[in-house]
Amino acid sequence: MAVPATHCCSLLPYSLFTIRQSPSLFITARPMLENFSFRTIVEYLPLFGQGLVTTVWLSALSFAGALAVGIVLAAMNLQRGRLFRVPAKAYIDAVRATPLLAQLYFLYFGLPRLGFVLPELVVGILALSLNSGAYVAEIIRAGILSIPRGQVEAGVASGMTYVQRMRFVILPQAFKVTIPPLLGQAIVLVKDSALLSLISVSELTRAGQLLASDRFMPAEGFITIAAFYLLLYYGLKGLAALSGRWFGLQPARSST
Amino acid sequence: MTSSPSKNGTGMIEFRGVNKWFGALNVLRDITLSVEPREVVVVCGPSGSGKSTLIRCINGLETIKDGDLVVDGQRLGDPATNMTRLRTEIGFVFQSFNLYPHKTALENVTLAPIHVRKIPRTEAEQAGRELLAKVGLADKVDAYPAQLSGGQQQRVAIARCLGMRPKIMLFDEPTSALDPEMISEVLDVMVAVAEEGMTMMVVTHEMGFARKVAQRVVFMDAGAIVESGTPDEFFSDPKTDRSRAFLSRILRH
Repeated sequence: MAVPATHCCSLLPYSLFTIRQSPSLFITARPMLENFSFRTIVEYLPLFGQGLVTTVWLSALSFAGALAVGIVLAAMNLQRGRLFRVPAKAYIDAVRATPLLAQLYFLYFGLPRLGFVLPELVVGILALSLNSGAYVAEIIRAGILSIPRGQVEAGVASGMTYVQRMRFVILPQAFKVTIPPLLGQAIVLVKDSALLSLISVSELTRAGQLLASDRFMPAEGFITIAAFYLLLYYGLKGLAALSGRWFGLQPARSST
Repeated sequence: MTSSPSKNGTGMIEFRGVNKWFGALNVLRDITLSVEPREVVVVCGPSGSGKSTLIRCINGLETIKDGDLVVDGQRLGDPATNMTRLRTEIGFVFQSFNLYPHKTALENVTLAPIHVRKIPRTEAEQAGRELLAKVGLADKVDAYPAQLSGGQQQRVAIARCLGMRPKIMLFDEPTSALDPEMISEVLDVMVAVAEEGMTMMVVTHEMGFARKVAQRVVFMDAGAIVESGTPDEFFSDPKTDRSRAFLSRILRH
């Protein structure tokens, strides 16, 4: 009785032991770590720096574009009439259903055929704005719909017009609710901007690719850009915390 | 029994043969009712009888299916009637207060006067402070709704309506969401408003309030006005079985 039990328990450590001893894993992992060249990374730092700066401002522009696209789409989507709602929904579905890479190539190769020859950077910002705008639209719509019906009615009952209700009652409250998910979307956008390296925009990922291919050092290239993206992430989080303080962000409280 | 519209149609609020459906449900059945200027009418009845719907129709929060509803001389649903304009003349107090949570008490009171009535800010704030003092909240001017008790919130909501200097005040179960000890502070404010000659329609089961200030009590059941009379008539000598059954239930506690 006792023998099979011990045998059984020893199986797991035994298998781990064999894997640790496995010669192939040992050999492939070892040179990568031993030869990790910090010197090359330092050498390429100016390129990474330029890439980082480009990623920051192209993401900022794209997010501004996404907000504009999102506000328009959300407004269309909240109309009662189908004339605006149906196209907005169709657009949002199309963007959410297809890969960003496909959308990017669609614009990159498609626009010139329609006679619009634009710089890669412009195509990239356009693609990110149009893509992220669909997600932003849903965030804004959800934020507006999260405001209790009683708030709308209070505005209506005091004789406010639709625009006044939006401006003084609904949007200020919806704004606070949407900040955290919008921050999430901004972070996604920054990471998605890595795809622009595929249409040779010299942003952060492109810098890593160059290092990887010029010096055959993929580990150095991609670990470095990962570190920079992490930095950007914490930067955005800090910004969100600051903006939260500016706008007096607190858990949404309602009188209803 | 019936409350006929005044012959020459001078009522502040005139329902004439009003019907409304929610899907197949006939929520207002052939309502005919006239409320005179400075009159206080209490509407009561079992839950789901259409009381709230009745007063929500008056400022267009609900629309009517057929019949006529004339408020302050303007026919609702008429293209010539500017509903937004008309609403500035009608204060509406909600069961759930519906204060703006991102605004202070004073801002709640002054928001519509400043942006809808276009009253200069300093003037509106002066008036707002006076109104808040009048409802006993002079010290809560800068408080946010979340920092106020239910009774205090409802008093701010009443002040918010009064800030528009309305001709009519509608109350939709203003004390139903309140703890018992806060009900009287709100009712006291409502009595004061009534005594100043405001035209009021109040959906409530507060029979003390009805006896004190109402000229008329309207009893509704299943979407129809079943009975209407002075508070004394209605409470001491209800005419229908349904109103008797209703009264025996609410007066028991």
